[in-house]
Amino acid sequence: MGELVHVGAHRASLREGSERGLVREYLVIVLGDDLYGVELTEIREILGPPPLTRVPRAPRNVLGVCSVRGQLVTVVDLRARLRVAPPSQARRPRILLTDRDKETLGFLVDEVQHVVRLAEPEVEPAETALGGEVSEGISGIGRPQGQMIILLALSNISVG
Amino acid sequence: MTDLNDKAREDFFSEAQEIIEELARNLLSLDETLRQGKSDPSLINDAFRAVHTLKGLSSLFGAATMTTLAHRLEDILDDLRLGRMALDANVLDVLFRSVEVFNRVLAVEKGSIDESLGFVDELLALIQQVGSTSIPPVSPGTDYDLDPGMLAVLTEYEEHRLHANLKEGLRLFRLRIRFDLATIDKSLELIKERAKTLGEIITYLPTGEASGPDTIDLDLLMACSCDQDKIESVLGNDNTVVQEVPRRAAGHEAAKPPIDLPKSRDNLVPAALGTVPPRPPAGAPLAGSGGTLRSVSQSVRVDIRKLDNLMNIVGELAIVRGAIGRLSDRLRGTGERRASNELNRLNRSFERRLSELQESILEVRMVPLGQVFDRLARVVRQIGREVSKDIRLVITGSETEIDKLIVEELSDPLMHMIRNAIDHGIESAEERSAVGKPASGTIALNAFQKGNHVVLEVEDDGRGIDEAAIVRKAVQLGKLGEPQLGELSRTEILSLIFLPGLSTCEEAGELSGRGVGMDIVKTNIAKLGGVIDVLSEPGIGTKMTVTLPITLAIVSALLVCVGDETMAIPLASVSEAIAFDGGMVRNIDGREVMTLRGQTLPVCRLDDFFDIPREVAAPRRQFAVVAALGSRKIGLVVDRMIGQQDIVIKALGPSLSSARSFAGATELGDQRVGLVLDAPAILEEVLAGADPLNPMLRVSHG
Repeated sequence: MGELVHVGAHRASLREGSERGLVREYLVIVLGDDLYGVELTEIREILGPPPLTRVPRAPRNVLGVCSVRGQLVTVVDLRARLRVAPPSQARRPRILLTDRDKETLGFLVDEVQHVVRLAEPEVEPAETALGGEVSEGISGIGRPQGQMIILLALSNISVG
Repeated sequence: MTDLNDKAREDFFSEAQEIIEELARNLLSLDETLRQGKSDPSLINDAFRAVHTLKGLSSLFGAATMTTLAHRLEDILDDLRLGRMALDANVLDVLFRSVEVFNRVLAVEKGSIDESLGFVDELLALIQQVGSTSIPPVSPGTDYDLDPGMLAVLTEYEEHRLHANLKEGLRLFRLRIRFDLATIDKSLELIKERAKTLGEIITYLPTGEASGPDTIDLDLLMACSCDQDKIESVLGNDNTVVQEVPRRAAGHEAAKPPIDLPKSRDNLVPAALGTVPPRPPAGAPLAGSGGTLRSVSQSVRVDIRKLDNLMNIVGELAIVRGAIGRLSDRLRGTGERRASNELNRLNRSFERRLSELQESILEVRMVPLGQVFDRLARVVRQIGREVSKDIRLVITGSETEIDKLIVEELSDPLMHMIRNAIDHGIESAEERSAVGKPASGTIALNAFQKGNHVVLEVEDDGRGIDEAAIVRKAVQLGKLGEPQLGELSRTEILSLIFLPGLSTCEEAGELSGRGVGMDIVKTNIAKLGGVIDVLSEPGIGTKMTVTLPITLAIVSALLVCVGDETMAIPLASVSEAIAFDGGMVRNIDGREVMTLRGQTLPVCRLDDFFDIPREVAAPRRQFAVVAALGSRKIGLVVDRMIGQQDIVIKALGPSLSSARSFAGATELGDQRVGLVLDAPAILEEVLAGADPLNPMLRVSHG
């Protein structure tokens, strides 16, 4: 099954920081050459890419299906879905498993880096940072230690 | 309904459901006997008992509405069985209605429908109305030389039956039978069963006379039209003495039987034990003893999801088995022959047990189709009365078994087909007699197993489908262009009825002419992996044939290769596989077809159909898997055949709903997933796709 990271232990990612306000934990991932963040509570599991079975006539961004311990997972190319250019250097792709209402989705990302903790003041909501009509999948911009990561709400990202 | 744990509630619901279904079956049989001008008191009795049990059960669970309803019905049924009220079609209507209402109340209590229980009052009012038509009880009086001791202990019901039988001019017999105490239950049942062919056993009592240590003598009072010899020949043996109860000479007043026993319904419950001699210790429950919850059942109710779960585990085990098999092969390669052989042997025995386990679980999921048929019989009766058409429903094969999940999904489509048959098919009585048909229409509901399939037929002897009207309507709805008119075959015309919005009934009938109908039926059947075919002869009738797989859980499939992809085709839809090369294909009117034993069938090259990329060209020698669905066939061209395997089909997620040609995916055993083809969908698409103007296209694409 390749590399397998259970993130269940990190589930309690909501912490009441004493001075910094509400603190959330984000997994920093790479799409193309940019950093993105996904809140840990949205991810059930991180997998090394398993063999995929292509599904003819599936929506464009669906790479195929695979089986994770008997469960069928629909794998979506997150980079293609967000229309991000391919990375300029070799990366180590991973799949983030997330549970939807009636299916389990796996989002293919170019790389998984580390976990950051962001307090509320360190997160700019998408509306104020980018203004007006922002893609539903983007929840805001996080700025830990001078870096900039685009925060995603996987549950709002449609497959098609 | 509070403070009940879910388990108990579930049990209550399913038990209540069963009782209601049983009641419905009783009513149907009653309806049948009533039509034949006969009466069967045991049926009324059974219905009474069912409602009585339901009353007890629902009051135990605090379902007040059901209790009230059951109580009122019990009164009516009691009046019926005691002859205080005559059974006619109107009373039956109310009783049938109550079955529907019970079902609805149950659904409301369960929380699956959000509805006030107001509709119950309507029924209660009806019951009230029917109840007021009671006829006064016949005054008891007998001129038979009966043992007063026996008369004294008759229950009100038994007394009523006695009088009813005498009124019909039947003769009375007393049978004294010696029973072995050890086997009295069975022997008594046997005698009752045999006696049914002759007449009716009114009561049985212990004689109280000395008998052997292990035996007991019973006196049976029986009414029948035949003579003593006949009874002796049917029931007689060494332990039986048959004696006719003589009629008293006219004018001789009988020893007045003491009839001042409590007549209230309370004496149905053995509260009157003090005054009544003890009954035989065992035997079938008499009218009064049905008031307790049945607890001697050998069966267990199981949530179907638990079975699904078991089935999944079996599927996973099958994957483990495959892995062990590969391991054993690898061991052989490394020279560990003995260990490999040992492992192989174990694996084979594992495989055998596993398939036994699989079969057993499948067996548990199977239920007889009779469950649905009973419901349909009720619908036929109800609709028939509503539209004043006399309809005879002939059912065969109700014992045919099919997966529980399929049964659940079947009742709506079947109901629709039957409604159509009654509404559009069967003509009015006048119309029928004008063309020399019997006044009452016949709908045949047949079920039978055919290989891995169950075939269901709904056949009526009505006017058949008006093909011209169908075509007219299809053109009117813009589903059919004028130029196509001449080109349609009869089968194609008939299949137009499956188009959305098509209904031939000129004025929208209350029942089925709502423009939704056969297209929904078709979709629902397709969801179950089935196909529907229609056959119709003007003036003779219409026959709808539904072909369904027996189970949905595990299917045998043919594994094939197309390019680099491994795919599974459920064997249920495969009729054969043949060697194929491009030379066999003819191109007719833009469609690729091939000839198989004189029959032309469309060809579908799966690699093109699915745009499967190829690194090397397709092999020259390929295979065509012939899929047969109903009367239609298609040749699916694949590169290679791998073999047969049992697979667990897992549904694709909703985000893949655009991939309509697949029934799901399955694990192939080496961590890979293979897609499972939905052969009916492919056939449909190929037939439709060849001609973009073809109306079938709109069917398959919603």
